[in-house]
Amino acid sequence: MTRAFLGALGVALAALALYPFFGTGYGVRATLQIFMWIALAGSWNLISGLTGYVSFGHVAFFGAGAYAGAILVAKVGWSWPAASLVGGVAACVLALVIGYPCLRLKGPYFAIAMLGLNEVLRALVSYFEGLTGGGSGLSLPTLDATIPIYYVMGVLAAAVTLLTYLIITSRFGLRLMTIREDEVAAEALGIDTARHKLYAFLLSAAGPGIAGALTARDQGYIEPISVFPLAMTITMIVMVLFGGKGTVWGPVLGAVVLFVSQEFVWARFPYLHQLLFGAIIVAVVLLMPRGVLGILQMKYRLPRTI
Amino acid sequence: MNVVITPVMIGQVIISGILVGTLYSMVALGLALIFGVMRVINVAHGPLLMLGAYATYFLYSAFGLNPYLTVPITMLLLFVVGVVLQRTLVFRVVGAPELASLLLTFGISIALVNLAQLAFTSDLRAVEYLTGSYIVGPFAFSKSRLIAFVFAAAVSGLAFLFLQRTKLGKAIRATSQSREVAMVCGIDVDRIHLFTFGLATALAAAGGALIAVIVAIQPEMGGVWTFKSFLVIVLGGAGNYPGALLGGMLLGLVEQLASLFLTTQLSEVVAYLLLVLVLLVRPTGLFGGRQT
Amino acid sequence: MATAALEIEGLRKSFGGVLAVNGVSLRLEPGRIYGLIGPNGSGKTTLFNCITGLERRDEGRVFFNGQPIDGLKPYQIARQGIGRTFQVIRVFPELTALENLLVVTQGDRAAAMERALELLRFVKLEGLKGEFAGNLSYGQQKLVEFVRMLMRDPSLILLDEPAAGVNRTLLNDLLDAVRRLRDQGKTVLLVEHDMKVVMGLCETVFVLDHGEKIAEGSPGAIQMDERVIEAYFGR
Repeated sequence: MTRAFLGALGVALAALALYPFFGTGYGVRATLQIFMWIALAGSWNLISGLTGYVSFGHVAFFGAGAYAGAILVAKVGWSWPAASLVGGVAACVLALVIGYPCLRLKGPYFAIAMLGLNEVLRALVSYFEGLTGGGSGLSLPTLDATIPIYYVMGVLAAAVTLLTYLIITSRFGLRLMTIREDEVAAEALGIDTARHKLYAFLLSAAGPGIAGALTARDQGYIEPISVFPLAMTITMIVMVLFGGKGTVWGPVLGAVVLFVSQEFVWARFPYLHQLLFGAIIVAVVLLMPRGVLGILQMKYRLPRTI
Repeated sequence: MNVVITPVMIGQVIISGILVGTLYSMVALGLALIFGVMRVINVAHGPLLMLGAYATYFLYSAFGLNPYLTVPITMLLLFVVGVVLQRTLVFRVVGAPELASLLLTFGISIALVNLAQLAFTSDLRAVEYLTGSYIVGPFAFSKSRLIAFVFAAAVSGLAFLFLQRTKLGKAIRATSQSREVAMVCGIDVDRIHLFTFGLATALAAAGGALIAVIVAIQPEMGGVWTFKSFLVIVLGGAGNYPGALLGGMLLGLVEQLASLFLTTQLSEVVAYLLLVLVLLVRPTGLFGGRQT
Repeated sequence: MATAALEIEGLRKSFGGVLAVNGVSLRLEPGRIYGLIGPNGSGKTTLFNCITGLERRDEGRVFFNGQPIDGLKPYQIARQGIGRTFQVIRVFPELTALENLLVVTQGDRAAAMERALELLRFVKLEGLKGEFAGNLSYGQQKLVEFVRMLMRDPSLILLDEPAAGVNRTLLNDLLDAVRRLRDQGKTVLLVEHDMKVVMGLCETVFVLDHGEKIAEGSPGAIQMDERVIEAYFGR
């Protein structure tokens, strides 16, 4: 079983690695997008799926990485791979500054504080026009790097998934879950919940930060509303919920299924796009809060590493 | 930026702050009721306010009704919308973890905004009914804002009297104290939830109706109201209804004061810092509140 | 006098004007079993919460093995060697029985696994180690919570109503386990409503009423104490 799975995984990874050589331009771009969503959804899963602290503004880290990377490329003349790494670092620094006070907030208050953070960052980048181009956005020098970015984003998606696997199978990961299950009991057992939450939060910020910087480079242009949309946070949450939160492959499954259906089905109804998205959110929340893999896990007693 | 602050400017800021703050209070009271009674954060509160604004706009432009006369009609219409939403969707997430209610109401929220875009287009629309200001000494009172203040104060006052004096109002407060105790006391909690969501939506709708006369309206106008309303109930203390009224005033004053020194964008940042600070230092709100 | 396992001096805690604990002082000698009784609302659980850092006391001092522990965070207090159970069971429902124990330890994984299995065997739950704790029966969950608390090998053990909702056989096992822990030199303080349990197990009993300690002594003496009778049966 395990060997068969690993074999299939190897074939899939090899196919994805070779895909740019025979795929269409559209296909490569779409797969690149799927990689991005896997990285984003997987990262959200690390903080919210494991600890239960709902980050309702996780796209803030994507946007922070995008601006950090774009400014380094456009204003300082860095190469995009280095700028992308700094994008990840910038997101982690932001997570440290925000997480230290805000992770003390419980339940809905943490969610709202994160929502507010996103709004504030959008306001701030609009305000500092000299650096960010303000509301009119920031253009990067022309460069066709879609194929290298495809590979880097693919590695990022794989890294986030691997990280999730390593965490979930470790006692560190179990301790993160005790925070979700019963934070008071965890404290009384000697678990330093504040530190654990902060570590998970930092780990969950790095991926979106790098993904943001890569996306900024790939698209060549960013503006406040394009990198801080609340809908993007919601999309990653719905992907994780659909696939199964707290599992390794849930975010991957959710990202693939939701992205593909968005591309092929919703694109046919451009005017109803948002309405359909709203309906899907409602349906996932009401009908399958545990997600596909969560339901299978409960029913067939599978390990969390699915 | 060098600004000379004169006493007249301060006076004007206080007046404007109270005028707009009363609107905040009324709208936030709705969100506070839903949160207090059901522990649901209704992200769709702002978009429901937007629907209220459109209701008034069409009653005014299609039937030629005086926009202020539309306020009760709009409230009644949106009361029904609120009841329907609660009856069909929201009741399913009462008592669920906050993620469920946040996402569900967000789903409702973008569906409403999209429906509004389809039905009304994204064009800016305005109810041009009352413009200009009353000048009293050195101070100026925008006419539409002054009347909005009077309406908002009256509606909030009535809602408050309703909560304090009537049997249904007391049942709502009892339910927000403890769902279990309310049930044991023979209160039909589901019916209370239904009514609460309707009432809260009507309060948002009243806000929408009044705002329609002040500024141009469009489908995406609601989001900022959700956030401001949440800020108000954090300031006032969750489950503390008089606190929500004071919190609205405070937000209005802080915003107006900040606008003397800062751009709109930076005053949003100030509002956020205020939110986080209050949450960290006084999680029960500035005016005391129930422990959560 | 030897260092007390736990010493509380003038502990006071109020919630919004209501005094839950009003100037309580206690002294626990090492290697003994103590009972804490009192009518509902007399402040027993609040006292536990103040000792373990879950509530911040208003006044007073708490010493553990002679060292002040007031002001420390709950996890720091737990790491010093105070373990507790809760009145309402607080297992981690979506972790397995074994995982419930494993999370407590850091460092050597093999040793942790060995200790966790040994403790599960101790309460005859080894066969259910892979079951989600939330799927276990009430009594089994209670046992998981009990041995989970032992993972850190605490020297002071606080039990909040260990007998509530547990059947006779299970209860006797649990009480035996508590005696064995005492024989290993651990100190036990338990809140309990079941007087039979308190009288049969405890060497010294403290009685709380309205947040104040109204009596202290051997179980026999406590049963005769007029203030205790008054507190329980009214005047």
